Amino acid sequence: MREVAVLGVGMHPFGKFRDKTFVDLGVFATRMALQDAGLRWKDIQGVAAGCFVWGGLSGMLPGHQIAATMGETGIPIVNVSNACATPASALRTAYQMVAYGSCDVALAVGSDKAPEGFLPSISVDESPTDIDVVRWKMVGAPNPAYFAIQARDRMERYGTTSTDLAMVKVKNSRHGQHNPYARFRKVYSMEEVLASPMVCDPLQLYMIASTSDGGGAVILSSMDVARRHTTRPVRLASAALASTKFGSSLMAHRPPLISFLAGLLDLSKTEVGVAAGRAYEESGLGPEDLDLVELGDGSTWHELFLSEVVGICKEGEAERLLREGATSIGGRIPVNTSGGLSSCGEAAATQALAMVAEVTWQLRGQAGPRQVENAKVGFCQLPGAMGNSGAVVLKV
Amino acid sequence: MDQHKRQIPALDGFFTWPSQEPALIGATCRSCGQYFFPRFVIMHDPDCEDREQVEEVLLSRKGKLWSHTIIHYQPPPPFRAPEPFQPYCLGVVELPEGIRIMGQVTGCKMEQLRPGMDVELVVEMQYEDEDNEYLTWKFRPVVKK
Repeated sequence: MREVAVLGVGMHPFGKFRDKTFVDLGVFATRMALQDAGLRWKDIQGVAAGCFVWGGLSGMLPGHQIAATMGETGIPIVNVSNACATPASALRTAYQMVAYGSCDVALAVGSDKAPEGFLPSISVDESPTDIDVVRWKMVGAPNPAYFAIQARDRMERYGTTSTDLAMVKVKNSRHGQHNPYARFRKVYSMEEVLASPMVCDPLQLYMIASTSDGGGAVILSSMDVARRHTTRPVRLASAALASTKFGSSLMAHRPPLISFLAGLLDLSKTEVGVAAGRAYEESGLGPEDLDLVELGDGSTWHELFLSEVVGICKEGEAERLLREGATSIGGRIPVNTSGGLSSCGEAAATQALAMVAEVTWQLRGQAGPRQVENAKVGFCQLPGAMGNSGAVVLKV
Repeated sequence: MDQHKRQIPALDGFFTWPSQEPALIGATCRSCGQYFFPRFVIMHDPDCEDREQVEEVLLSRKGKLWSHTIIHYQPPPPFRAPEPFQPYCLGVVELPEGIRIMGQVTGCKMEQLRPGMDVELVVEMQYEDEDNEYLTWKFRPVVKK
């Protein structure tokens, strides 16, 4: 394996775009990433692309539609479908293309369009053999219900309060106000978050990421190519992907399942724990080396929990870390300097690429008012459903 | 419930019906000892020696509430519920078989719900039309005698 550089990143702003197709969003991000890298479209030698929520045949062929718009050049294009881990998988696929030497310049691109509100089942015939039908029709379990049930267990065990859950949103909104690609740039007060409508108790509206449209692109290259374009390339030191290890009782990330193993929660067996461990091992770096972290905050509970799983604090200490300001920009280990999914919105096939873009800007010193001083190593936890997670380490 | 309407499961194959004491229909692996619900979602221990020995079983009717939430917004179809929408409690219940099952919690005030409380399986209406009441499984706190 050889070292891989992040040569260019591009983002379409998150939001709701009725007049744009998901292909438009992906092409926008691709063009921006090419410009950022100083490359032409014809320099791209391989593509890994993803779309998830949009679905259908069109949604299964995002890479080919984006490439067709850019101009067909005959390059290999892999479309990946891995639910919320779709962009993490596209990134890893492009990483492997470069790391294993099958090409020198590869594009990972993901774009998506989502409905407002809860992401519904797409089964047409309400088949009793489709577990996603069963969980809606027989149980009535939207995704945030899974987060909320796990969050309530955390409250029981660690004394987490609604104030803690709200504080994550307040902190991330302070970060996100400076992110030009975020959907929500308003700074929220504790009072506003705690006054927002209850969705799935204890999670209130402003504690849950909003389903959104978006597009992201990351161009990876060999170090040889990167050095021709920059004197200080950002390296993708690992692009891990992991699934749950048997024995994990974490249920929050398990939609559409409706039964889960009992037992104490062993973080090392969760998909995120496995992915983070693998990313640290591959990069030779650990949580103590990190200058900033992006975490998949599908809800504010996620950020607290994930802080512990990826090892920036011990179990049960995430609230203290937050209250002390350690996870704010200027603190010991800033979390979600982009504003997180909380500010950006959640465009499933885009998230991981947005996180890598944010950390890349941070490591280059291009993050403007949200810049983390002297950032050299960053980490992203790339979320997925049913026990599926990516984890990447970036460094300069 | 309306006595003139037929009472039928909203989806077949998840609980015994008709029954005075309905139970969830799960499955177990005679090799690795794991229990599964519903019966077609199988998750073996990776050290399982033989994945052919899966049998249908009825799961325990009683368990303990592990954690819960209250859903304040109406989910999209195929969820259906009587109008107007009323918030409902969704719980995860731990069974002696070593698995936790999701289901709505009924028959008590929401503020009375506590982790560890004893609950039992019941079958209740989820929605209805002119002819039928459509049923699903729920959990209800065990009434102390």
